[in-house]
Amino acid sequence: MPGFSHPHGPGSPALSRRSILQLGGGVALLFATGCAAGTKAGDPAPAASTAPGGSDAPAARALRIAVGSYLSSWDQDFVGFDLTALMLYKNVFPYMIDYGVTSVGGGQILDTEAIAPTFAESFEPDADNKVWTLKLRRGVKFASGNEMTAEDVKWSKDRAFAAKANVAGIYRLIGLTKADQVEVVDDYTVRFTQAFPSALTRQIQAISLYVFDSQEAKKHITDDDPWAKEWFAKNPPTGGYFNVDKAVQGQEILLSANTGYPGTDGAKSSQIRITVVPAASNQRLQLQNGDIDIALGIGQRDIKDLKTTPGIKVISAPSNNQLAIQMSVTTAPFDDPAVRKALAQAVPYEQIIANVYGGDARPTRSIVPLDMPGYSESGYPYTHDVAKAKETLAGAGKTSITSELVFQTDSEEQQQIAVLVQSEARKAGIELKLTPLDPATLAERREKKNIPLQITLGQLWVNDVEYMLGTSFTKGANLNYSNYVNDEIEKIFEESHTVVDEAERAKLWLRVQEIMAEDVPWVVICQPNFNLPVREEVGGWVQPMDGLARLRYLSVTG
Amino acid sequence: MRVLRFLLRRLLQLVPVLLGVVVVTFLLVRVLPGDPIRTILGPNATEADAAAARARFGLDQPLWRQFLDYVGGLFTGDFGTSIQSGTSVGAEMAVRIGPTMELVVIALTVALVLAVVLGIWSARNAGRFGDHTVRVAALVGNSVPEFWLGLVLILVGYSVLGWFPAPSGRVDPGTDLTLITGADLLDAALTANGPAFVSALEHLALPVATLVIAIVAPLLRSVRASALEVLASEAYTAAAAHGLKDRLLLRGYLVRAALVRLPALAALVFGFSIGSTVLVEYVFSWQGFGQWALRGLLYRDYPVVQASVLVIALFYVVVFLIADVVHAILDPRVRI
Repeated sequence: MPGFSHPHGPGSPALSRRSILQLGGGVALLFATGCAAGTKAGDPAPAASTAPGGSDAPAARALRIAVGSYLSSWDQDFVGFDLTALMLYKNVFPYMIDYGVTSVGGGQILDTEAIAPTFAESFEPDADNKVWTLKLRRGVKFASGNEMTAEDVKWSKDRAFAAKANVAGIYRLIGLTKADQVEVVDDYTVRFTQAFPSALTRQIQAISLYVFDSQEAKKHITDDDPWAKEWFAKNPPTGGYFNVDKAVQGQEILLSANTGYPGTDGAKSSQIRITVVPAASNQRLQLQNGDIDIALGIGQRDIKDLKTTPGIKVISAPSNNQLAIQMSVTTAPFDDPAVRKALAQAVPYEQIIANVYGGDARPTRSIVPLDMPGYSESGYPYTHDVAKAKETLAGAGKTSITSELVFQTDSEEQQQIAVLVQSEARKAGIELKLTPLDPATLAERREKKNIPLQITLGQLWVNDVEYMLGTSFTKGANLNYSNYVNDEIEKIFEESHTVVDEAERAKLWLRVQEIMAEDVPWVVICQPNFNLPVREEVGGWVQPMDGLARLRYLSVTG
Repeated sequence: MRVLRFLLRRLLQLVPVLLGVVVVTFLLVRVLPGDPIRTILGPNATEADAAAARARFGLDQPLWRQFLDYVGGLFTGDFGTSIQSGTSVGAEMAVRIGPTMELVVIALTVALVLAVVLGIWSARNAGRFGDHTVRVAALVGNSVPEFWLGLVLILVGYSVLGWFPAPSGRVDPGTDLTLITGADLLDAALTANGPAFVSALEHLALPVATLVIAIVAPLLRSVRASALEVLASEAYTAAAAHGLKDRLLLRGYLVRAALVRLPALAALVFGFSIGSTVLVEYVFSWQGFGQWALRGLLYRDYPVVQASVLVIALFYVVVFLIADVVHAILDPRVRI
């Protein structure tokens, strides 16, 4: 019985060359017709951008920024630790208040101690610093045309409490735990009644007081989705310094300045194009070729080269990003403070600054970050001294110990640091097994608090020791990977909630650092400087102390 | 009718295969260490907040309930909600599959054409300088890591020569391409958008070249080896001895017989290509299926991992089915 595939003789294939050519010709004709139709007479000429090697150039020069990844969601209430998303939110959500700007050493930085109204008219406390009143400007509108009112603020905060996620978590620090603590007074006034007065209120509200267009949102709620999560996950918010004109999932986001911004510091650039370029090497090439203006994702090694590249300038500024090794104080052998001190003496601080950061990092002498109010040089009295480390270890009755050292699998920088630490620690009798972990495994092990040693690099959203203690050094704090608990620290933290006077707070922070110097829950390595390579035509960069760029200050010439 | 019966039989066989994939993936992704919920919570989240998030995604339910919900959803085309983005996995996947399939299909097509032409030419010139050159070049291409090759092509093609566009996306945004399938070239043709078509072609050139260079070697070696066997066969020798014209010898006796092994190998290479796109997409800012699936895996986004594995499995079995049919067309000894 012949096979179905062989209706013709061997010399007569089922698909002849002629039929292939006919098919190919047909497809080519179809494409050619399509191309012709797409460029018919009378149409504007294709953008110059279609020429290879160039990117599109709108009539009014748009600022072009490359980022490493697309944002995971447009819904700030339900997003995880996604820096691209958090940066975009700062620019597209209407935040009622924000940090001011101050000049330092020829550059400009966000001033975390000068928080001022932006979309709001005012945000002021009562005499007890417990009841805060937010007054809205009149006539501020979302892209839908709806006016921003107190109802929008109330709805947004109700949603945040219902989300039980980001804002709800952070509000606890200032005694806001229930939705009914936020009340509408009139159409343009909202009252926040805290359980206790707090010196952190302005700081916490600066990162939490963003507002949704509730009238628009209510069109998209369902019985199963009373907070329009599905809609907000896909649709950008409006009403901030910028509106999102276009967002192509995974590829690019086009922002245009919100001309209805009521304040005086509106966006300097009328249009910003954000493209996703995951590979740092490609960001570098595109920056060099002038196809992007700002590269938000270039590594230390490339930055070193770009400093001498014509047409490019590297904006450099001190940062409060803190590099540390967190030691689990409840896991042997690091449950012994002497062992923790030994490791603190074995870490090659200067070598890390020189080799990993090319000298572009600041040594630090406290667990409290440099530039944070209350920083004291007495907070971390440890330097690299292998002989002393051996001695300290011997004092603890040990000649050698072993442990794993965990770091993020996708961080070349952390890998280099881990190798340097491993090499020096070995000389002191501390044998470290390097364990790179992916984000999900790292998150799980951090939750279980079962990592004996881990490299961490990050900065706090709020530049304040109370916030630092609340997030990193108190019982149950989410970033307290060390599992560190000290009764006196707990007491100071509680006390600090109601201490508003700066001098009094400074005394508390000094004591905190004395305790930490003795307990050593972290090896504090350094604070790498912030470096941003941009084209020379770019101006107006303001260094964000929370790491989230405020794009409104940026402009590009030429 | 025979073909239809064969196809029907094979399609029915897909059901247990895919069901097995569904079960295994569902269990394996949960066995892997890593907590997807903690990756979406802020630094001040408490245990209660984590529990609320778990409940939001149904992860507080017993495993059997989660599985039934998942399978029930599949029957209605619902792949679930991404834990990372909070949006429908089906909708996310729809915009990711097109670009990757376009890249892989074009690369595989080009690689197959190259392999057939060069493989047969190489076999007919076996032992000569040209033959050695082709084989060595293919092997070198095959040995070079895709990400490195991609970076070199970008450096030369975009940065030095300026012949190709910046590796940031798949089509120039200024062309205002309306997406239908997600495959930009196809969409440009369907919407008769000439500038977008040209732009998509330019953007495709380097990633396709990278993938072609990475996959062409095994295809070429297979064609060459088969062609050498045919050239040494009695049937071919007899035909040649009868003084048949070279063109007839090539078309009637050599090409078809030399391609018999190719479909099965091409199906394997197709699978390999989908895997390779993860790196190629990263290097060329392609934002396709590979990058999406990888991110899902890194963050243990269960619905994303489950959907991506299921879809890859589906592609595999369908491509092997096509390979079997093509094999039968090429080889009269094969009956289906």
